[in-house]
This record gives sequence, structure tokens and C-alpha cells, in this order.
Amino acid sequence: MTRPQDRYRRSFGDLSERALAFWLLVPAGLLLGFIALYPVIRLVYTSFFQYQLTLGPDATFNGLENYAAALRDARFWNALKNTSLIVLVTVPGALLVGLGLALLANLPFRVKWPVRLGLLLPWALPLVFVGLIFQWFFDSQYGVVNDLLARLGGERQFWLFKPDLAFWAICWTIIWKTSSFVALILLAGLQTIPKELYEAAEVDGASPFQRFWRVTLPLLTPAILVALIFRTITAFQTFDIPYAMTKGGPGNATETLAMYVRVTSIENLNFGYGSALAMLLFLISMVITMIYLRYVRGADE
Amino acid sequence: MNPFKNLRLWVWVAAAVVVFNGFFPALWIFFTSLKLEGELTRIPITYWPDNPTFQNYLQAFREQPLGRYFFNSVVVAVGSTLLCVGVGSLAAYALARLHVPRRNLILSLLVGVSMFPVASLMVPLYQTFNEIGLRNNYLALILPHAALSLPVATLTLVSFFAGIPRDLESAAMVDGSSRLGALWRIVVPLSAPGVFTAAILAFVNSWDEFLLASTLLPAKAMRTLPVGIQLYQGEYVFPWPLISAALVVALVPVALVIAVFQERVVGGLTQGGVKG
Repeated sequence: MTRPQDRYRRSFGDLSERALAFWLLVPAGLLLGFIALYPVIRLVYTSFFQYQLTLGPDATFNGLENYAAALRDARFWNALKNTSLIVLVTVPGALLVGLGLALLANLPFRVKWPVRLGLLLPWALPLVFVGLIFQWFFDSQYGVVNDLLARLGGERQFWLFKPDLAFWAICWTIIWKTSSFVALILLAGLQTIPKELYEAAEVDGASPFQRFWRVTLPLLTPAILVALIFRTITAFQTFDIPYAMTKGGPGNATETLAMYVRVTSIENLNFGYGSALAMLLFLISMVITMIYLRYVRGADE
Repeated sequence: MNPFKNLRLWVWVAAAVVVFNGFFPALWIFFTSLKLEGELTRIPITYWPDNPTFQNYLQAFREQPLGRYFFNSVVVAVGSTLLCVGVGSLAAYALARLHVPRRNLILSLLVGVSMFPVASLMVPLYQTFNEIGLRNNYLALILPHAALSLPVATLTLVSFFAGIPRDLESAAMVDGSSRLGALWRIVVPLSAPGVFTAAILAFVNSWDEFLLASTLLPAKAMRTLPVGIQLYQGEYVFPWPLISAALVVALVPVALVIAVFQERVVGGLTQGGVKG
């Protein structure tokens, strides 16, 4: 007996198949090598040098001095604090809002496209544009938010000019932008839960709340984990929305790590220190990615 | 009271909430773009345009090189999508069909690369492209955009290729087709939906990207839409009539793409989530 796979493999010989596979993978390897691998190596290398173009064209090796400087740099800690706060607020926020949207979108609609588009549109809008649109929403004079506040008898606020309010306005915007992607992932998860389970639970006299708690939530856990980790990684890299809304202001009150990397390296041309900051951001992302690969993907295989 | 009627009502409310939440910002910016400066700076603000006009659109194209930005965005998005899907298809075919040593390691590496922070890659890419004189050349953005979407595109394509029965392919080869012939006549048509999904994801990613675009293509004539429009705002002035009209122009292509191919996009986006 020969299985189809064996026949398939034998008709080419192991060697030529390996060679073919190799050549098919070469273009992808070259592209990622040039755009991802080489830059990371160069990033590590540059981070060990004192190298600022505005001071001179020469780079001098200074070991771990850039990293030590980051630990003494109040602006770095401020950016790390802002980024962490954004993660702590917007990741649970997007998960909760996304779960709500997914549960609503999972109801039996006769016409499906408006709801699907309602979830896709926020995902497809460019982050910078979302930032600009919400800046307009939060405009202190002509914005919708203040108009509604005034109509409801509240007080108009200078949203983007006060540190705390600006932070919350940014978080609100990020949650709006990212919750629909979370909802799409959770909705796909919801649709894999067999209807019979709900029927059985209903027969056993479970209330809707119990059905949610005992059936929906446990079976949705893998999808929730995936959404959680993706969101956490992208939240640590937050740049566009605060950049479009406040440019990190007022002062540096809403500056994130990615924004500080950009100011340091691209605007001030301090590649050495900028690379060290970028490395720290890189390491944070990779630690979370490892957790993802190990516990979520690995559990599957 | 009839509980069934009640349920239908709640379904309607749920639909309205999701649709309103998703559409409101885009609709609001569209309404804004139809208002003239005078109406925009009136208190209380108007929700529905008093006197809808497309004046702002003419102005947006006249006062800023919006057409040029649009063209740049198209070149970069189409170029990087083609490159990404082309390179990704080859790699995905090998990973799904051929014996590749350490296949799981390669797949994990792809996931890892897709998590690289763009802000970190930006610094060395800026240096490198400056040195080789590629900054302000379309390639300076096409290559990174293609590479950034490559992991997702490849992983999407791997699962599509894996879903095509091997027997179909071997049957064609037994009938005398070469491997490439079988690839071309059997695998390519059957995997067209997958290739298309990957292409849409790559296109939207590229169309939306800001950080690298602003760093690697900063010259005025080379700016893409997100970079160009972002720079309309001055230190203290905010030309909303111009910005809102330009935003609508920039949003039309992505809105069209996702409206036409919504099922495919949802499938592509959620694949990773469901399968882990």
C-alpha cells in the first residue's frame, strides 16, 4: 500500500523537493532579512554607540551607557508610564467593549452586511485618521463631545489641553478603534460554539446569565486569549492616535515610548540613544510574543 | 405580549448599536466635509449640514497636492501588495506542500516577526535607506510595507494551500503535467480566494500605515495620504473644511474594498483567532 503522500513525494525525489522548497522560500527570506532581521541587528549594534548626527558624524563605542542613560532619563520613565497606562486601560477596555459588540453582532440578523460592516469599518480606518476625527470630536469649541455635554447640562471641557483629560480622550479613541477587531475575533469564536450546548443548558434550567457564564465564556477563552495578547502587543507600540491627537502634549503628558523613540532618533538624529530606546520597546514586544507563542499557539499543537 | 416580537425588537436595537458605533465617526466627518467654514465654526454646532456643498472638496484638491498624495498612496499600496502576495505565495506553497525542515520553527518565526514594533525598525531603516540613497524613493516604503504584511499573508496562504486536496494536484501530475503546470492549473485557481484575502489585508495595512511613511517618504511630492493630511494642521490653525474633505477622499478606497469583500476580510482577519 502506498499512501497518496508517498506517491507524491516519490515522484520527485527527496532532494529536488528540498531544493524546490528552498528556492521558493528564498525571496521571503531575503525580504524579511533586509527589512526585519538586518535592522534588528543594526539596532542592537547602534545602541552600544554614542552616535548623534547633530554632534558629529562619528560613532564612538560606549557599551551599555545608552541603556544606563535611559534608566536615569525622566522622560523615558514618563513615556514608559504613559504607554503602560494606555495598555492597562485600553486592553481591558477594548476586550469588554469588543465582547459586548460581538455578543450583539451574534444575534440572528436577517441582513448581515450592515452589522459586519459596522465592525469592519473601525478596523479599516487608518489610525492617524481616527486620531484626527476624534480630535475634532473632542474639540473644545466645535466638538460633538462638548456639545452633548452642554446639552445634558454638564460643563464644557478642554479635553486635549489638560493632561488627565487628554489621556482619557486618547484611551477612549484607542478603545473605539481597536474594539471592533477584538469583536471580529470573538464573534468568530462565538460562532464555533455548538447551538446544542445552549439548548442543553436551557433544558437544564440555566438562566441566560448562567448560560453566558458556564457555556459562552469558557468556550470563548481561547479567542479571548488571542485577542488579549495581540491587543497587548499593539498597545505597547501605540503611536499614531496620540500623535495625531496631541503630539504627546500637553508638555509630554501623553507621550508614548514609540513617540519618544521617534523624537530622539528621527527629529534629534540621536541614533545611539534612540536605538537603545527602540531596543527596550523591542524587548517588551518580544517577551509578550514569546508568551503568546508558548502558551497560545503551543497549547494548540 | 408576544415574546417573539420582543426578541425582534431587541435584535433591531443591537444592530442599531453596532452599526451606529462603527459608522458614526466616518459619517460625522462626511457631514463635516459638506459644511462651509462659517457653519463649522458656529455655536451651537449643527448636526445635519444646513447647506450641503462639495465646495470643500474642490478646495482640498486646489490648495494641497491631494491628488498627488492619493497617487503616492496607490503606488505604494499596490506595489507592496503585489510584492507581498507574490513572495508570500511562493513561501506558503513550500510550507504547506513540500518537505521543509524545521517547518514549525519557520512558522513561529513568522509570527514573531509580525510582532516586531514598527517604531523599532524605523530607526535602522531610516539610517540604511539614507545611506543607500533610497529615502524618498517609492521602494523605501514598498519594501517595508510588503515585509510587514508578509507574515500575515503567508500564514493566511499556508492554511489555504493546506486546504486544497493533494490528490487533485497529484492526479494532474500523473496525467503528465509538470509540477509547475499542476501548480498553475490546479493550485492557483483553487487558492485564488486565499490570495485575494491576503492581498486585501496587505493593501489595507499599507494604505493605513503612517510611522514609516512619514519617516521614509517625507518629501512633499512623495507623501502618502496619512502623512500629507496629518500635516494640514498647523501649530494653532486647524483647517477643518480641508481636512474633512481630504479624509473622505482618503477613506473611499478602503471603505470600498471592505464593503465589497467584507466576508473575505472577516475570514482572513479571524482565521488566526479561531485556530490560535
